[in-house]
Amino acid sequence: MTLSQYATLMDTMARLSLKADASRYFFGYVWWVLEPLLYVLVFYVVFELILQNRKEDFVVFLMCGQLAFVWFSKSLNQASRSILGSKGLVGRVDIPKSLFPLATIQEGLYKQAAVFLLLFAVLLAKGYTPSLVWGWLLPVMLVNYLLIVACSLFAAYLVCWVFDFHVFISMATIFLMFTSGVFWDPRDLDPAMTYWVLTLNPLAFLLDAYRQIMLEGVAPNAAHLAIVGSIALLVALAGLAVLRRHSRFIALRVITS
Amino acid sequence: MNDLPMLELVGVSHHYMARKSSFDHGLHHVLDNVSLRVMPGDTLGIVGRNGAGKTTMLRLMAGIIEPRQGVIRRRAGASCALLSLGLGFQDSLSGRDNALISAMLQGVSKRDALASLDAVREFTELGDSFEEPVKTYSSGMRARLGFASGLLTRVDILLIDEVLSVGDAQFRDKALAAMQQRLGGEQTVVFVSHAEGQLKALCDRAVWIEQGQLRAEGTPEEVIAQYRQPVAALR
Repeated sequence: MTLSQYATLMDTMARLSLKADASRYFFGYVWWVLEPLLYVLVFYVVFELILQNRKEDFVVFLMCGQLAFVWFSKSLNQASRSILGSKGLVGRVDIPKSLFPLATIQEGLYKQAAVFLLLFAVLLAKGYTPSLVWGWLLPVMLVNYLLIVACSLFAAYLVCWVFDFHVFISMATIFLMFTSGVFWDPRDLDPAMTYWVLTLNPLAFLLDAYRQIMLEGVAPNAAHLAIVGSIALLVALAGLAVLRRHSRFIALRVITS
Repeated sequence: MNDLPMLELVGVSHHYMARKSSFDHGLHHVLDNVSLRVMPGDTLGIVGRNGAGKTTMLRLMAGIIEPRQGVIRRRAGASCALLSLGLGFQDSLSGRDNALISAMLQGVSKRDALASLDAVREFTELGDSFEEPVKTYSSGMRARLGFASGLLTRVDILLIDEVLSVGDAQFRDKALAAMQQRLGGEQTVVFVSHAEGQLKALCDRAVWIEQGQLRAEGTPEEVIAQYRQPVAALR
């Protein structure tokens, strides 16, 4: 299979799955933006209405972090089960196993494009104006995507190897939701703690970068972004190599699971 | 060139782990030291009881899984497709979308795959159901879709797992006729079936697998006769 065949197949699988998914729901494509908005609503009710958060423009702050986080967490959870969920195909054709997680991630990417458009619309309505700094959103989104791919490829492999891993993956996403500054600002912490949170947790760094760019008009730390991006790229390439090398072992695990 | 086998199994053994309960490994032996050759243009039939290791053997031949011991050699560059029942469909996608993915998975370009879909639709005789999700299909309809989408792609080695055993009589005859048309030339086929009539009609050689071992090899008539003896004795 050539690279272009692989890419076309991945994209076709993603698009067909989006179509099938939309036809299953009464609201169809509306769910692409409705679901992330409902997540935001839940956090808004808890933190703004019940806990009386004092942060200025909390809804916008929340949306910038949460919409990117939901992209990561949903893609990771769905991609991690994607190989196992395609038992029928895996048992019938010898294909690169990375196709399944990558097609699932591609599906999430299409949905996320709509979500980002919605976010931009809300920001404009709230009086935030795009500037040249917003150009930094592209590399930040690219690194965010690479991080999703890197985590998902290994997660998908581990879940095929020992099914029990999917429990850890759900737990890890919950842990990340609390530690990545989705509904709190790492910059409000003690400066030493801010430094550690943003340095050790790449997701916290990315969520903060989105906010810095769109809300403060400040460019993110380019060196840090490049390091996170390079590590994510290397891990993603390693994940592809592992899935390729163990393709038949994975098939056996999936068929006999 | 034609003296070289298309597909060769040398001392192939296979087992796998399947848990019956927590903390258990559960070793299952599937194939035990099987050797056989399939020459270009051959149609080899495989008979054996349910669970004898036939499907595993096809999966090994297709390169989907690898044997624990032994070697499987396929002629360099030979393409290979496994047609099996019901498997390989994504239930929420329509018959058309499934046929598209199925063709693309066999290495057909998207443009050619899209162009072949109307022929697939016609062959399946599914009519408007072709555009509906596969989850609404009966097992016979799935078999029609599986057979049609697999048959219309050109591959060197066609591995067929029971696909011709289901569906109504009219479609079985149609599928059989389509198969016979394909068998004339260089097409190499390995064929698993419980339908003895089909085996005799299509295959020029057959093997009998029992408890993972090769028990007999020869013309379909001879092998089926041997296969039936112990089955009769068990009753």
